[in-house]
Amino acid sequence: MTENKDFLKCPTDIYNYYGTTPVEKFESRTPKKTATPRVEKARQMYFESKSSASVEFPYWYTRKWEGLDGEIGIIRRAESLKCGFEHLTPAIFPGELLAMRKANYLRGSYPMPWLSEAFFLAKEDELFKEAAKSGKHSADEATTIGQGGGNVTKSAGNVVSIAGKFGLRKEEMPILLKIAKKWFNKSVDDVGHKYEQLVPDYQTKEEIMRAVICMFDSGYTLPQGREVMNYYYPLQFGIEGIKQICQEKIGKTAGYPDMDRLYFYKAVYTMLEGLQTWILNYAKEAKFMASLETDKTQKEEYLDIAQRLEWLSKNKPRTFHDALQLVWIFHVAVLNEDAISGLSPGRLGQVLYPFWKQDMEKGILNTEKSMELLECMRMKFTELDCFASMGVVGGVLSGNTFNNLCIGGLDIDGNSAANDLEVLILESAMTCDTPQPTLSLLYDEKLPEDFLLKGVECTKIGTGYPAWINNRVGMEFLLNNFRKEGMELKEARAWSLGGCLETSPGSWMPLEINNETYFIPGGSSPATSVGVHFISLPKVLEAVLYDGLDKRTGRRVYPAHGSKLDSYEEVWKIFKKYFSITVEVLTLTNNIQHDLWGKISPSIINSMLKPDCLEVGKDISNKGCRYNRTFNVEICGGVNLVNSLASIKKNIFDEKKFTLSDLKAAIDANFGYLSALKTKSYSLIEQVKTDKFMNWLKIHRLCLDAPKYGNDDKYVDNIFKQWQHWFSEMCEQYVSLYDEPLYSCQISVSTHAPMGAVTLASADGRLCGTTFADGSVSAYPGTDKNGPYALFNSATCYDHALSQNSQLNMKIHPSVVQGRKGSRKFAEMIKAYLRKGAFHAQFNVVDSRMLRDAQQHPENYRGLMVRVAGFTQYWVELGKQIQDEVIARTEYEQIG
Amino acid sequence: MKHYDCKYYLSSDVFKGICKIDKKNINADDSSCDRLEKAQKCKHCSNFALTGNNLGTCMNKYDAFPEMDAITCNDYN
Repeated sequence: MTENKDFLKCPTDIYNYYGTTPVEKFESRTPKKTATPRVEKARQMYFESKSSASVEFPYWYTRKWEGLDGEIGIIRRAESLKCGFEHLTPAIFPGELLAMRKANYLRGSYPMPWLSEAFFLAKEDELFKEAAKSGKHSADEATTIGQGGGNVTKSAGNVVSIAGKFGLRKEEMPILLKIAKKWFNKSVDDVGHKYEQLVPDYQTKEEIMRAVICMFDSGYTLPQGREVMNYYYPLQFGIEGIKQICQEKIGKTAGYPDMDRLYFYKAVYTMLEGLQTWILNYAKEAKFMASLETDKTQKEEYLDIAQRLEWLSKNKPRTFHDALQLVWIFHVAVLNEDAISGLSPGRLGQVLYPFWKQDMEKGILNTEKSMELLECMRMKFTELDCFASMGVVGGVLSGNTFNNLCIGGLDIDGNSAANDLEVLILESAMTCDTPQPTLSLLYDEKLPEDFLLKGVECTKIGTGYPAWINNRVGMEFLLNNFRKEGMELKEARAWSLGGCLETSPGSWMPLEINNETYFIPGGSSPATSVGVHFISLPKVLEAVLYDGLDKRTGRRVYPAHGSKLDSYEEVWKIFKKYFSITVEVLTLTNNIQHDLWGKISPSIINSMLKPDCLEVGKDISNKGCRYNRTFNVEICGGVNLVNSLASIKKNIFDEKKFTLSDLKAAIDANFGYLSALKTKSYSLIEQVKTDKFMNWLKIHRLCLDAPKYGNDDKYVDNIFKQWQHWFSEMCEQYVSLYDEPLYSCQISVSTHAPMGAVTLASADGRLCGTTFADGSVSAYPGTDKNGPYALFNSATCYDHALSQNSQLNMKIHPSVVQGRKGSRKFAEMIKAYLRKGAFHAQFNVVDSRMLRDAQQHPENYRGLMVRVAGFTQYWVELGKQIQDEVIARTEYEQIG
Repeated sequence: MKHYDCKYYLSSDVFKGICKIDKKNINADDSSCDRLEKAQKCKHCSNFALTGNNLGTCMNKYDAFPEMDAITCNDYN
């Protein structure tokens, strides 16, 4: 190889910029608005509180479960859940206007050993050791978790740290272990493991998990979520009203064929009794708090809470405040019945609008009070935690719970659905800028301009939300996938996002208030993102280059292909083969896990809420929902795959700059750099060279200089397009538990960090252990050099409606969007992208140098939020892998 | 006795909470004040019997643990 002095040049700036490099002191965002004093106080309390787990619910659940041996499965489950709810200790904090929470702490949660029990057992425990042998725990080891904020990262004093995030009182550990052991060989995880081994190619699955080619099994980790809530039944009928429906249905099904309907209705009825006691326990506690209170206003507020809860324990809501409280009760109730991330309130502003409008017209509510209630709602959603293993809670979720609230879109008649309450929702998300609920704006040409500019105003201040979503692309995807189950255009308009970006079917339900009928949207499917989660595309390509081996561990994952890989077509062919093997075996094993989830731990409350479960008498796992084609294949690292393929094609086969053996040798040597796992720096910037650096410089430079996605370069964009089309088509060849074809899903969440951590250097020049590009159509940090519109052209080189989503993150310097002119420019850029057929874009409006400062001085940035990939999270609660990746993203200094 | 043992202690997290009476921030494991009233916990219930380190039985039948809140338990005695 010839030496070239240019190869010696290394970037000196530690940031990636498009446009003029900023030189002055780092710039903060547009000045923020402030929350009402009540909510500001609540937010401070939140900042000072740690994620805390308790054993109360699992204790009572298990105690009841044990006593009902022999009972019908769904009844046993309902009685156990009921017992858990009835024994939750109520906790109401001063200043709250909305009561009730998951557990007896501000950020409370609890383990659910009936799903999975091994990961929270003490490490010295034999059961843990046994579980650790299996491949599924490899993801935990590859994950870093945020060291600040509310995470309890280490055990201290009387508190034990679980999964690096949750604190548990030491006194509760012995009983937790005892309970966990009762679920050994009975949990969904354990029973699933027993039966998934019957899948002929099961050993490949084990190796795929061990290599972290796949991140996690959804059946026992997060079996529900990535879906949209439906609040219609409680709002329309109240709890007693639903119980009455159940009673009537019980009378019509008892003794008739298809008796499972009878047991379902009985289970729902039982559950509702449990919820009533839970609500009344809170009412009682509110009265107790009032009895201790000397402040007149606070006392009245406690009594108001008590009165409201007593009413709602039986009846339908009378006011907006009632409706919001009831929505919250059922949201928490669903979260308490399963381990769930991504339970989205959906188009809540449209669901609650009839109540709000009525109260405003009556003069019993004003804008100020509305704002206060909406801010309180934000705090309640932000307090939510999801108890899960480190690999899941850190590696996938980054501690987020993904409660996505959508605004905009179309109403049942095809007109703009945006309303004044949604404007207040946007406003409250600025005054009370917290991660939850995150907002997504369903962009449609019919939406009013001032509504869009309000959205821009919110995005500009650096909240990361609203994400901008193409309403028509979402509808097209849904019609393509759910027409077979009867979806028509009108119903497609009821859609919303479940979780961060999972397009989810909805339906319109007729809410009657004061003799007026309002068609309100709500989710009408199970979790829309379960199945094959997540597949690391660069890692599959790595296996292709190394004849089916996981080079990091030396273990064989796939059958040896034995090919010399002497053409690009051969590389692509074997990649498709290995990817297909992965999807096939994971589809089968996940189908088994989800089948067992439905048998051992069926959803009762969520089933009751989802049309048409209550009508037909079937729970979610028995296809009671209106739409059931909801299993998918999720991938991660698509852009790194495509960039690597482009590099291989160009450098090895088209221009013969080096050989495949040269490339593998360079990858083995990590292009002459230390591994990120040693440097603890996880992006391409700030890496440390070894003394062998010069040996690999030329190859590395060629890899880095190969065509990169995001620059409107057809060479690489055509590869991207080819991949996208093949991927979406191949998913349809696999069948879910519900006997429906799978669809493709393209979100990274946080998986691009741990998956990058276990992946060697790649042909695109990425180094070993560093993160992948985030999202699905975001450019790899620093490689998008031709400006935003070139990036948009690359991103829309294929049809986004083929997939459940696409995901584009951009980082923009605050100075670019300042003022009204900046807002207009920003809005026009977003529209330009969506009009090209893109599905989604989200923005970090932030100065990268501020993020670096926040990394070095986290104590000064407790409230700083950033957009990761489909979610906004507090900076200090992110792991270093993700922090480094967000800092490294290209910062746009120009968007014109 | 600790704040953690008091009827007026409201946990905000596993380390700390507030006093329901004066709303001051307090640590769970700090010594309680004069206003202490025993929280309704299993360890104060006649149905509970201690059997080991932070373990016991309830009504000689169920596993239990002494520090469990029993405010919602109908069998608390």
